Amino acid sequence: MEELTPSQNNWLKKVWFSLRIPFLAIIFALLVGAIILLVSGANPLEAYWQLFKGAFGSLRNFQRVLEKSTPLIFAGLAVALGFKAGLFNIGAQGQLLLGALMAGFVGFSLKGLPPYIHIPLGLLTGLLTGALFAGIPGLLRAYSGAHEVISTIMLNYVAINLSDYFSEGPWKDRSPGNIVSRLPAIQPSAEIPNIGPVPVGFIVAVLTALLIWFVINRTTFGFEINSVGLNPHASKYAGMRTKLLIVAAMVVSGALAGVGGAVETMGVVGRFQPGFNTGLGFDGITVALLARNNPIAVILSSLFLGAMKGGANTMQFYANVPNEIIDIIQGTMLLFVTAEMVIRWIFKLRKQQGTEITVTSGWGQR
Amino acid sequence: MKKRLYSILAILLVAGLLLGACTPKEPVAEPVVEQPVEQPVEKPVEEPAKTFKVGLVTDVGVVDDKNFNQATWEGVVAAQEELGFEAKYIETKDAKDYDANIQLFVDEGFDVIVTVGFALGEATINAAKANPGVAFIGVDQFQGEEVPGVAGLIFDEALSGVLAGVLAANLTESKTIAAVLGTDLVPPVVNYNRGYVGGAKWVDPEIDVISTYHPGGMDVAFTDPEWGASTAKQAIEQGADIVFAAAGNTGNGALIETAQHEGLFCIGVDTDQWLTVPEAHKCLISSATKDITLSVVELIKLAYEGKFPAGNYVGGSSLAPFHDFESMVTDEIREKLKEALEAYNAGKIELPDK
Amino acid sequence: MISESVNKKNWSSINWKLVRSIILGLIVVGVILFFNARSPEKTSAVLSSTLRYAVPLILGALCGIFCERAGIVNIGIEGQMLMSAFLSYMTNVWTSNLLLSLLVGMLTGAIMGLFLAFLSIKLKLNQTIGGTVINIMATGITGYFYQTGLTTQGKLWNIPLGPLAKIPLIGPVLFNNPPITYMAILLVIFSQVLLFHTRWGLRTRAVGEHPRAADTVGVDVFKIRYWNVIIGGIMAGLAGSFLTLEGVGMFERGMTNGRGFIALAVMIFGKWNPISSALAALFFGFANAMQIQLQFMGIQVPPQFVGMIPYILTIIVVSGFVGRSRAPAAEGIPYEKE
Repeated sequence: MEELTPSQNNWLKKVWFSLRIPFLAIIFALLVGAIILLVSGANPLEAYWQLFKGAFGSLRNFQRVLEKSTPLIFAGLAVALGFKAGLFNIGAQGQLLLGALMAGFVGFSLKGLPPYIHIPLGLLTGLLTGALFAGIPGLLRAYSGAHEVISTIMLNYVAINLSDYFSEGPWKDRSPGNIVSRLPAIQPSAEIPNIGPVPVGFIVAVLTALLIWFVINRTTFGFEINSVGLNPHASKYAGMRTKLLIVAAMVVSGALAGVGGAVETMGVVGRFQPGFNTGLGFDGITVALLARNNPIAVILSSLFLGAMKGGANTMQFYANVPNEIIDIIQGTMLLFVTAEMVIRWIFKLRKQQGTEITVTSGWGQR
Repeated sequence: MKKRLYSILAILLVAGLLLGACTPKEPVAEPVVEQPVEQPVEKPVEEPAKTFKVGLVTDVGVVDDKNFNQATWEGVVAAQEELGFEAKYIETKDAKDYDANIQLFVDEGFDVIVTVGFALGEATINAAKANPGVAFIGVDQFQGEEVPGVAGLIFDEALSGVLAGVLAANLTESKTIAAVLGTDLVPPVVNYNRGYVGGAKWVDPEIDVISTYHPGGMDVAFTDPEWGASTAKQAIEQGADIVFAAAGNTGNGALIETAQHEGLFCIGVDTDQWLTVPEAHKCLISSATKDITLSVVELIKLAYEGKFPAGNYVGGSSLAPFHDFESMVTDEIREKLKEALEAYNAGKIELPDK
Repeated sequence: MISESVNKKNWSSINWKLVRSIILGLIVVGVILFFNARSPEKTSAVLSSTLRYAVPLILGALCGIFCERAGIVNIGIEGQMLMSAFLSYMTNVWTSNLLLSLLVGMLTGAIMGLFLAFLSIKLKLNQTIGGTVINIMATGITGYFYQTGLTTQGKLWNIPLGPLAKIPLIGPVLFNNPPITYMAILLVIFSQVLLFHTRWGLRTRAVGEHPRAADTVGVDVFKIRYWNVIIGGIMAGLAGSFLTLEGVGMFERGMTNGRGFIALAVMIFGKWNPISSALAALFFGFANAMQIQLQFMGIQVPPQFVGMIPYILTIIVVSGFVGRSRAPAAEGIPYEKE
């Protein structure tokens, strides 16, 4: 989209054009949050200050923000790539969950591998699981017309049930003294280390974002995905194999989410346990939309959302504000960032070509 | 443009006020921040006035859940009233924040940190290893091996389940009793049911115990009151006249539903639900409780006195008071309950696997 | 697009094949239960549990049907239900007036519908995202403002319909229910008539299938869409009120527990047709009641597998292996007047 057009003379203006809507959306969402805080008797400035301190107040807090951002980057990329192809992958949640589960299985069951084999193997398992699980709705969308929104919502529930089953059933942690439904801890050789305060998983996430940016903007595959997203019929007449592209986009999207889950298991949690990965895929939707589907911006918006989530407990602790305020802010932000019309209407901003987000069409269509 | 901006702000403000019209949830009940420390009278004089602080980390959920988070917090508050110290809680929203939330209390120099729920077990042990000198009370956390500084407060849910089962078996007329349960992913829930079935069959092997687990995952199994209610109804309509609900808020739905039907009894769980679910007064004969509140008070006192234990600390399991139904519970039944307790302790009550 | 070639009759009449198979299935299993257990109580317990589980799904699916028949995708049903459940509960706490609470619930649904309509029609916001926003906001707002320790006295009670309620087996199941359940059954019939046998319905479907054509013959596309989404919102509001006023009588954070999404599945299962969808909802309810009954009977199946059934069935149905299901053609596309 805008990256495809030859760079204009005034790139600064371009940056502002692409940043202003998310920026204003964030400001407005914080404002709405402040009003609600004010009305319920809390001090918004104090709350936001604690939120900020909780995110960046110390090196350890910042490390947590990076940890929280990592799966968001993967989930955000997964959703963004889907959007580029005109697919709404609500199923990132389920793909991530199963990726985390399978990485946990590989992580604990294979013994005696050196880290340089075990870690990539775990990541690969997550990738393949996510890809396969997203391949189902991809194939269905391409060849039977079942809309991916519906099929992935349903598959999310299937993923929860499957992972619960394995955590309580065949793969349950049977170590003496354990009564909890969870998988055993992964082998030390499967643990993704940190470099200083920076988790290696975060670095992988950033590199992946750059890779996806490159794929989307500099390769034929990326070009074709974009065209399918923008105009499937024209792409078909131009000779592209649109069905195959839809499946491919879904598979890559699922692979990204699956790796995100694997990184989560191997880098943060240390095992698979039900309840530890909830909501990440859905947050990916917010991340992708806030980033306007730009993979580089996905990193930034993940950091932003990760900072809010990382700082929330400090805010609750010191400013006595319930956590749910973060949900309200996130929802408002999503609303403003997607309802460009609202912000344009308020500020009478000019419309710039190519900034609309291509998302899905109705779920009856091909 | 300005005009529009103002009008938007006005709209936002009005919307905010409208929202505010609903009384908001009190941000944090009564954390009693920086309350001056009262020296208990019976304390030896030579000890300097120390600041004593107790913090509580909930499982994913809220502190006022009418259930074990709430019962534990009530224990902290009760101890606070007695000893006079600073108490505070934090509600966990994301399971990955367990460590971070514990750390917040450690950083603020809290002396006792109570973590609620078996899911926090690992985080609690890690924190205790990293912070010797801080006393950790892990509610529902079975300690496989003893870790200094961690007291795992555990309960024999099967025992209170047995008592509930014996009570139910003595009261039922239809010889069919029901249990509505949270997910089988949670061991205490399974133990309650094992006790309930075992206790009822011990009284009368002919009794039909129909029990069912919620089919959803951990995230929904305890927050689905309508499922609990309709499941209870399904059991009642096929003749069950006593419903035991061990499923958090899902179970509360089952209790309320049972109260709608004349002449039936229901049995609550974990805490004395007479106090937490007033809608169920019509049927709530008792609750299969674990004395979370009392045990938490005891453990905090021990920590206060510097005699904090490590390893497993078994809290009491019993039946809650019968309240309005005192007269319904005959001496004969009370005798049977005592007998059951002895039989259970002697290992004479056979429990099913699940 | 393929929509032009679609046989119109498919969409204007009930899918009798599905209806037949579901009814047949219910009867067969019902009879088996009846004789196996040799106890009519068990059968009627299972059947009334089926109906009860189905009611919010039916209402949620009707919400989806009204919105989508007019061309607006609504995945915010879950959020609409939750908000309505919350506000009707709060009204009941404050006023102890059940009728008023019910009206508040419906009104909340209507306002949420209006909000979605405004986002997707006026602002041309992507409709799926609009629904997602509603879901996130509803979770946040109800969670933030809900406080425990509130109690309500009373909920909507059963109204037996005279001698009808005394018919063995089906009497207690069908004719001894609280008001929202009756309303749900009547609304299914009402919606079926409205959508397929009135001018309004014809226009609604025209707007959902081919808004441009509808516009050319003088149908006000925007008006039709607004009203249908609002009507849909009222249905979702009723579904929410069902949970807090009629079903369990209490509120809990996140208590809708995915019923809004299952309602979507029900809608697709029923091919955007009220009666078929109601039957699909009953089928899902039956699956739930049966899984409870199996556990009662001591048959141990991991509950997770039973929990998966509705979702897997939905995927099979949408994928077209069994009875292909197709959405209105213009769904999800904002309409621009020329």
